[in-house]
Amino acid sequence: MTHSPLQLTLTEWDQRYAELARAGLREPWYGGPLARHVERENNERLRRLRFDSSAAALRLWNFLLTENERLRTARAQGDRLVGTMKDLGTVPVMACALPKVRPFYPDGAWWTPCLMECSDRLLVQADALGTDPSFCPVRAMLPAFLNDEHFPRPDLLICSTGAVCDDFSAIAQRLERLGHPILWWEMPRRRAPDPGEPACDLPGGLIGPAGQVECVREELQRVGVELGKLAGCDLTHERIRAGIRSANQIRRQLQTLRQTVYAAPGAPLPALEMLIAEMLAVHFCSDRGECLPVLAELATEATRRVATRQFVIPDDAVRVFWVNPVADLRAMNLLEACGGRLCGSDFMFTHALDLIPEDLPPFEALARTALADPMVGPAQDRARRIVDDCRRFKIEAVVIARIPGASHCPWEGNPIRERIADKLALPIVEIEIPPVCDALLPTLRTRIEAVLEIARARREP
Amino acid sequence: MEVFLTSPWVPAEIIRAHGHRPRSAWPATPNRASAVPEGVCSFAQSLLSLAESHPDAALVFTTACDQMRRAADAALARSRSRIFLFNLPATWQSPAARNLYRAECARLGRFLTTLGGPHPKAEDLLSVMIDQENRRAALRQFIQRHPARLAAEALAGFYSEGIVPTAPPTDAIPVPRGIPVALIGGPLLPSQWSLFDDLESTGGRVVLNATEPGERCLPPPCPIPSPEQPPLPALADHYFDHAVDAFHRPNTRFYDWLGPRLHERQVRGLVLWVHVGCDLWRAEAASLRDAFHLPLLTLDAHVESTGGLRDTNRLAAFIESLQ
Repeated sequence: MTHSPLQLTLTEWDQRYAELARAGLREPWYGGPLARHVERENNERLRRLRFDSSAAALRLWNFLLTENERLRTARAQGDRLVGTMKDLGTVPVMACALPKVRPFYPDGAWWTPCLMECSDRLLVQADALGTDPSFCPVRAMLPAFLNDEHFPRPDLLICSTGAVCDDFSAIAQRLERLGHPILWWEMPRRRAPDPGEPACDLPGGLIGPAGQVECVREELQRVGVELGKLAGCDLTHERIRAGIRSANQIRRQLQTLRQTVYAAPGAPLPALEMLIAEMLAVHFCSDRGECLPVLAELATEATRRVATRQFVIPDDAVRVFWVNPVADLRAMNLLEACGGRLCGSDFMFTHALDLIPEDLPPFEALARTALADPMVGPAQDRARRIVDDCRRFKIEAVVIARIPGASHCPWEGNPIRERIADKLALPIVEIEIPPVCDALLPTLRTRIEAVLEIARARREP
Repeated sequence: MEVFLTSPWVPAEIIRAHGHRPRSAWPATPNRASAVPEGVCSFAQSLLSLAESHPDAALVFTTACDQMRRAADAALARSRSRIFLFNLPATWQSPAARNLYRAECARLGRFLTTLGGPHPKAEDLLSVMIDQENRRAALRQFIQRHPARLAAEALAGFYSEGIVPTAPPTDAIPVPRGIPVALIGGPLLPSQWSLFDDLESTGGRVVLNATEPGERCLPPPCPIPSPEQPPLPALADHYFDHAVDAFHRPNTRFYDWLGPRLHERQVRGLVLWVHVGCDLWRAEAASLRDAFHLPLLTLDAHVESTGGLRDTNRLAAFIESLQ
């Protein structure tokens, strides 16, 4: 069914949904009108967002917003649930390789205060549990674990530690002391190999010391043993190989989608939907099988729109690269309201977008992928990739979104700025986005508009 | 060459054995760090200032926390040749973590040779280990017999210059009075030692200094390996096995270390010393309360000094509540 792309409010989506239903829309079992997520889960934030009007976007949102429900259903059907924390992309590949094991990121609870506009009181409860607002909003995970009102309690908790942000490490440790045992695994801080030191290629064009890869490989093997015990069968190399192939299918699909959207002359899909789509890469939103068609449908829609030059954002929008995920989803809508469009991103998990090597022993391949995490290496490495992507997608401005309280944010802005200034001389703005940013909207808008205005003024007549 | 260590969990013995002079960063950090950007740990920022103010010295940062490793990234970007980032594993329960630590000790040695130090023979390192162990034993004796501030000064002297003061006869030391409290947390700099005085003036007494570089940072006696054994792995394993810190995952070793000491010394209150921007120590406040059921006061540390009248008043109220 063809339809001019629009960004719709939740109320407008009700009408759109009725139209689609009349036209014979076929949905998966988790489908339905978006408004029900407000009624059932109190996701009031949806009332303030603007959504893409395609059936593909509807499926994406329904997939995302039913994750907790799908996890509970899976548990009821005998699946084992694994809470994989912090590594953003690697352990889920292993967990999904086992029968009837489903990984999810309790870290994702950081969006709950946003979605529920803090009516959940998770942040207040987190404060009472010893993690005050000096910690990043992922502290919402703590009370979410304790009150059982959000995600189901996992059967096994796994968390990477070492070269990770202090907030998460501290919050996870607090969680463990509150009675939730965690299987910790070591993630060394990635460094450049010393002269003469054996080295390995890592995804994303990086190079790491072979000794570090070996350390991570051994740690992942240890994790694999525990996952195997949970599943009641060994995590064999054959199983992981198959898991890597499936993960790569999804990553390829996502690469296609990103290339289609970010390289297009106009925006075939809005920033918010692209953020959500990219997030699926880290753990497939708890359903690897369904993740692929969700992304495929989005990519098909984007391709169709590009072919027919139907863009959801005006053609003259400024091409923006966005750094870091936002605690408030509304910020992505704001970018477009200010005259920008998303044409590149580093939402802190670029290693989950890169293909996992299939020509290596599987644990070795996963170890190399894990070490390519932008957050475990120096910010200069991250800046290098951002610059490359800015070139590739003809970026005109960069927005660095700071996460309130996050230990990495005060340090990484400058190296990223310096690299971009040195190589591309693009206008850059840093903004801090709290879980509900309404009170700051005028300031955020002014800052984003200013940087877009500078970018627009630099265009050749 | 002077080599500043920013953590007690990197063996100073390696630096001495390579012909360099280990110094601890705590007493050397500038009293006034450059402006601290919002969200940055003031101690991490002060280490950057230290690197800038000592262009002829080397600095060994660690990955104990995100802030420190990112400070190291900033320092490396400015001066790669004299900055070393030591990967301190957060975990301690797997062979991979132990091997990582051993490998980092060896890598530190290679770095030190690039600074001009000789590659030490096994007997050189062994000799340094024995000497260091003797000094540590004397230091342990000293701090057991002296009030907290004097002990802190002795610890700083040891980490800074390798000096250990001679302990006078026990009866020469006046026994301080006051409510016994434990001081727990991250780096406590000489500019902040007035905290001990403030505590005493309000009726308290530090009977356990578990800050950095407090008693917590003194590993137990290191068994000296036999001449046939390579000393570096033995040294590395000793540090790896006895590091007691908040950054470990899990950090049960810290609680296991703390518990018996709080009991033995009849501690009645905990003062948690947290640098602004330090998530790792701040998050322990609630867990410490839960674990030991003792009143706890969190004090925010700034690099320059203790927090002045406000902190003194808070301390006074805290000690009063313990009476």
